[in-house]
Amino acid sequence: MSDNYDVIVIGAGHNGLVCANILAKKNRKVLICEARENCGGLVEESITNFVPQIPLSVSSSLGGLPVKYKAKSTIALSESGQHIRLVGNQHIDHKVISGFSSKDADRYVEFHDKMSSFSKALGSFMMASPPRIMNNTFSDYFKLFKLGMNVRMLGKKKFNEFARMIGLNIADELEDNFENTLLQGLIAHDAVLGSNLGPRSPGSLINLLYRMATHDNSIFGGIYEIDGGSKAFVDTLLDISNKNKVEIKTSSSVKRCITENDKAIGVELHSGEKIYAKKIISNADPRSTYFCLLGTENLDTDVKRRIKHHRSKGKVAKLSLSLNKQPEFINCDKNDLESRMVIAPSIDYIEEAFNPSKFDKLSMEPILEMKLKNSDQSNPVLDIQVQYASYGAQEGWDKIKDNYVDAVIKLIGKYAPDIQSCIETKTIVTPDDIEKNFYVSGGHWHHGEIQIDQLFMLRPIPGASQYRTHLDGLYMCGAGTHPGGGLTGIPGKNAAQAILEDA
Amino acid sequence: MNRDLRFTALKKTPFHSRTSLASRTNKYYNWNGFTVPTEYSTTELEYTAARNGTSVMDLTPMCKYMINGSDANKFVDYLVTRDLSQMEDNTVAYIIWCNEDGKVMDDGTIFKFSNTKFMLCCAVKSYNWLHDSAEGFDVSFEDATDTTAALAIQGPTSCSTLKNYGADDLELLKPFGMKQYNINGYDVLISRTGFTGDLGYELWTDPANAENMWDSIMEAGKELKIRPFGMHALEMTRIEAGFIQTNTDFMAAEDSLRPVRMRSPYEIGMGWLVHLNKESYFVGKRALKKEKETGNSERCLVGLDIDGDKPAVGSVIYNEKKEDIGIVTAAMWSPTMKRNVALASLKRPYGIKIKENIFAEIYHPEELEYKKIWAKCKVVKRQFFSPERRNKVPADLYE
Repeated sequence: MSDNYDVIVIGAGHNGLVCANILAKKNRKVLICEARENCGGLVEESITNFVPQIPLSVSSSLGGLPVKYKAKSTIALSESGQHIRLVGNQHIDHKVISGFSSKDADRYVEFHDKMSSFSKALGSFMMASPPRIMNNTFSDYFKLFKLGMNVRMLGKKKFNEFARMIGLNIADELEDNFENTLLQGLIAHDAVLGSNLGPRSPGSLINLLYRMATHDNSIFGGIYEIDGGSKAFVDTLLDISNKNKVEIKTSSSVKRCITENDKAIGVELHSGEKIYAKKIISNADPRSTYFCLLGTENLDTDVKRRIKHHRSKGKVAKLSLSLNKQPEFINCDKNDLESRMVIAPSIDYIEEAFNPSKFDKLSMEPILEMKLKNSDQSNPVLDIQVQYASYGAQEGWDKIKDNYVDAVIKLIGKYAPDIQSCIETKTIVTPDDIEKNFYVSGGHWHHGEIQIDQLFMLRPIPGASQYRTHLDGLYMCGAGTHPGGGLTGIPGKNAAQAILEDA
Repeated sequence: MNRDLRFTALKKTPFHSRTSLASRTNKYYNWNGFTVPTEYSTTELEYTAARNGTSVMDLTPMCKYMINGSDANKFVDYLVTRDLSQMEDNTVAYIIWCNEDGKVMDDGTIFKFSNTKFMLCCAVKSYNWLHDSAEGFDVSFEDATDTTAALAIQGPTSCSTLKNYGADDLELLKPFGMKQYNINGYDVLISRTGFTGDLGYELWTDPANAENMWDSIMEAGKELKIRPFGMHALEMTRIEAGFIQTNTDFMAAEDSLRPVRMRSPYEIGMGWLVHLNKESYFVGKRALKKEKETGNSERCLVGLDIDGDKPAVGSVIYNEKKEDIGIVTAAMWSPTMKRNVALASLKRPYGIKIKENIFAEIYHPEELEYKKIWAKCKVVKRQFFSPERRNKVPADLYE
């Protein structure tokens, strides 16, 4: 049987595209099979609001990525109009916060420095393929040693502090440092964003560190918007794919991996078509990759257990409101409306919003991250990330969707009283919709929780790290692998490297 | 659960009213949450009945799981290392199953009624493992441990005893065959299986019929040297037969605290049950294939023929340089063969390539003093005792 392709990538998410292009640049004949009509996966206007910058290591391995970013500042909205505006520059932010509390302002700089140094220590570890302890190889131990050294080199005091903080919840740390509840709420919001944690859940602090490590090591500095939106970004990737002669087959969902002698040798599409290749890479989430592509009958019981226990229930819905005019947010100027607007007034507020989600229920007062698109035009769009919109909500999304949307709009009304009159249409994409329309089990942004038991060499599951799966010839390059979600392209790049190493 | 049961330390089997009457020594032990006799009178007498007449043992505490569903056939083949794709209906197969590292979880017997119905009999509680393995298969499980009464009827006259009891044409049943009977008005499943390495049967029925079954069989074997036998006598017979016992000869993978104690099938002499050329995947196949290819099995389980007549219970095994090379897992003086035998787990290449110059250090208790014996051992086939009558069809009949 002749191989038609060197590599088949399943899924044209951004990681799949990055991975395919790096391989194509190394003269591999690559085919991407995408189940949807469009490429880009979750990098889409209807899902993504803000992104970090693609790391240099990724863009340079693609031969440059001509994408322009717009840095965004952040505004934490307060019902009283006493908003906090942060830009990610310590001096400016210090001045802003001292307007509320000079104690907080000093503490903020200290806190920011401490967190930055920790996230930098994690940094190199985040970019590279994680070590695999079972391999017993020098390079794997060296990687671990280096991480240990990075942290230890911070000095004894900071090392102790790191050890103290690693399992901590963000609420404790924020309450120890700050007295302004709005500031607490804002930072806590970023720590829990996209996760299944409340501010008082253990491990929520490492979530923030992790986020910082992919966002310029800064709490509010590394937030960008892509010039031209997500579409521009995906189009750029598609242009590069075109140049690299990567073939892309859209509307071609893969049913399963074809195996021979316990090795992946091709894919079978739902249409029945069979395509063969030397290597298969899945950009799908770990559960789909294992249970659908590999097939339950080819998995060991222990692996099934790990995949079944893999936590990947999405908690974020995206609500888009197209408006007929610009809404009046209380005490906000034009600049503010172009910022990232956050509604998370306090830690307790977030925790209360989180509580029902533990029982797969919905809070009618969720936390919001908003972006006003086309603010200078006559048809602005308000894009809203609604957090703690549980996957598989107990009430049933079909029944509760309208009420939920109304509740969110009512909530925004507290900050922009005229919002109701501006709305033309409303669309909501729930985690259940993400699962259905984007083929992501659980509808989780990151294809799996970013928590300490699902990080580094444990991501996505023990025994499947370093982008390889339990099946020879089948690899993973999605957000379910290290270092996880966010628009980084690192999983795609590292997976491509793993494949080149094995060749 | 029955409210009273919560205050009972150990459950009683459906045969308890009879086993307790038969017990002269009042010696019981905890087998899988049930109280059952270790011996009724004397172990030697019971052993002799098993080898010369008919012995009866209450098997109810064995874990029993019913596996039902349209994928039952596929599932069972996926669960165990042995290729069961060609298994016929109404037969039984001896099997082991492994975890993902190819380490043995337990051994047991699987009873096939049809492609959609099986029964698994094993030592270690396995419901959880079955349940988690079943992801992707259309199967359901039922723990039938409490709802099935089981008796082992073993020994040279066992077939005659059961024929007297009402099992017509039983002598024609092949080893590892099974047959459904209706005797005294109730259903009994009889399989030609056992743990003594001799001619023998196992009977499975509803607990409601247990007492009648016990009484009728005791009556049927009255002239055929029938006797209830306990765990100690069974231990003797199974060592002679070379059968292994989970958590005695090897640690079940889920029960080992230390990963190095887990054993692959190749390390406990069960390599013959691993069919790597089985078409479909089975749990542990990748790991076992790798082990087979690299040949990095570390240990082996062998039979030892030991000089002298003092059983080498718990002995450490040495080479001629007095280096520790393994341990005896089960040992006895075999009255039938007049040999001092043992099962031992040895570090390879001992037991595989090096079979000579192996010694056991035996501490033999003699009235509060130990006699230390340095005994020479020979590595032999583990199956010490396997009489012709064991597999004979038709089975021997006596009057």
